[in-house]
Amino acid sequence: MALIEAHALGKTYGSNRAVDDLSFVVRPGSVTGFLGPNGSGKSTTMRLMLGLDRGDGRTTFDGKSFSELDHPMRHIGTLLEAKPFHPTRKARNHLRMLAAANRIPTSRVDEVIELVGLTSVSDGKPRKFSLGMGQRLGIAAALLGDPDTLILDEPSNGLDPQGITWLRNLLKHLAGEGRSVFVSSHLLQEMAVLADELVVIGRGRMLANGAVDDFISHSGLGAVEVLSPDAELLGPALDSLGATVSHDGATLVVRGATAEQIGDAAHAAGARLHQLVTRAATLEEAFLEATGLSEEFRGSAVDEGGRS
Amino acid sequence: MIDALRYEFVRLRTIRSTYWLIGLAMSFQLVMSLLIAWRFSVATHPRSGDDTFDILATIGASTGLAPLFIAYIIGLLGVFSTGHEYRHGMIRATLTALPNRGTVFAAKVVSTGAVAALAALACVVIALLSAVVFGLDMPSTHELVDLTIGTMAFTAMFALSGLAYAALTRNQTAAVALLMLVPTVVESIIRAIVLAIKSASDDPQGTTGIVKILKYLPYDAGGKMYTRASLDDLLSFLGYVPFGPLGGGIVMGVFVGGLLALSYALFLRRDA
Repeated sequence: MALIEAHALGKTYGSNRAVDDLSFVVRPGSVTGFLGPNGSGKSTTMRLMLGLDRGDGRTTFDGKSFSELDHPMRHIGTLLEAKPFHPTRKARNHLRMLAAANRIPTSRVDEVIELVGLTSVSDGKPRKFSLGMGQRLGIAAALLGDPDTLILDEPSNGLDPQGITWLRNLLKHLAGEGRSVFVSSHLLQEMAVLADELVVIGRGRMLANGAVDDFISHSGLGAVEVLSPDAELLGPALDSLGATVSHDGATLVVRGATAEQIGDAAHAAGARLHQLVTRAATLEEAFLEATGLSEEFRGSAVDEGGRS
Repeated sequence: MIDALRYEFVRLRTIRSTYWLIGLAMSFQLVMSLLIAWRFSVATHPRSGDDTFDILATIGASTGLAPLFIAYIIGLLGVFSTGHEYRHGMIRATLTALPNRGTVFAAKVVSTGAVAALAALACVVIALLSAVVFGLDMPSTHELVDLTIGTMAFTAMFALSGLAYAALTRNQTAAVALLMLVPTVVESIIRAIVLAIKSASDDPQGTTGIVKILKYLPYDAGGKMYTRASLDDLLSFLGYVPFGPLGGGIVMGVFVGGLLALSYALFLRRDA
């Protein structure tokens, strides 16, 4: 089972530093989500990890760089872009070609075709494939060598809801077998239920790295909802905690203090509490908060009439 | 290297363009050589076996009046060898299957050169069979070997130059254009300019000066490997003395080798 260690990855296009000093670890037995806004450098980082782009830093897979691996598809399965195949080469032949380069038996080609659900079209030309079918073929190629490690760039692009569920279960199953799974996605709700760890970048720089729960709990968008008939007593107590308080009807929305701190402060102030509920931020909220200032491409706001 | 060759072998076998291009070259060769052989068989002044074979094998290119057409068809295999990688985003899949760029490039060079040479050999065999069918004189062993090697070498190098153009430009369309235009239009323009300057010089019939450039036009020089008489002979009064088959082959080989070396260096440095 491979431990991925990326150290000081960097890439510059002209005067633009696309990836800047990125270091992280992907551990076996986990799904590590790779998040970042459009243009933040996720795909470039993945290409740097695999030696496809020339840049700074080094990535090792159990101590070896990708180019040092013998028959790399048996160790690292990759999906880097949609439809990376010749449009008139049959799907099965595409996989046979890749298998030939890594001495993978042809029987494995049929296994992965069946696994991704493309058996009925395996002798068809991929130019007729939908984006989702193309992704399935790309996933089949990634799984061809039964690798210890998967590096997948937006694998759920184009998949239908059933396909996304299938992919989620597959990746969780593979991670459960002790493999390392490093996957980028824009589907934050999907990532929230799929990933164990996160690497979050913005403008090529590391914004957060760690467990999903830690990332969410550190968000300033988490709040405690308080309902109290003694709000006039509770207000100064909350101010003394340094918390910020906003009103949502009769409910006080408190940020910057835990439920325990608020309960203790209310008790000390003699304020009654009818409700004390911790509302964690969602991954989407935490992500937007973390990357808010790091968006490379930002759309203009649209008013109610649809004008921007 | 073996793995990279296996990859290239499956790649070539599993794509239609391989069969279309080789089939087109062989069909053209079959139809034209049968037609020419038939005309030779009913001619009142029969040609020598060597002359007949030269014309049949090259479909007239040995006279210097036409390009070696099969090389232009088979040469596209070289363009596609690298061009498909970039046109269809295959290069990243290829390099994640075979991360050693040196062996990937070497395997493409070996497979392209070998397939192009074998396809050219098949065309020569078709020409020989056409002569047999119409009972024409057979060529001497010396001419048979020389022309066959010359045709195979030119076609292989022509295809490799296509591979290099595609690797340099990373654009299949541009590479096809370069492969078609450099040997025909570009070299012709250079030749016309040089001859115009030479004819206006103080010593229009001398063998020195700018006219020496002409013998280094790579595709023209390489063509000496299969031409036996050429329009170039008519230019001798302007002091043009071309290389022979060996010298011309070396000039083309150095040119193609230079293109491959440059494209290899860029292939190693560039992002995939």
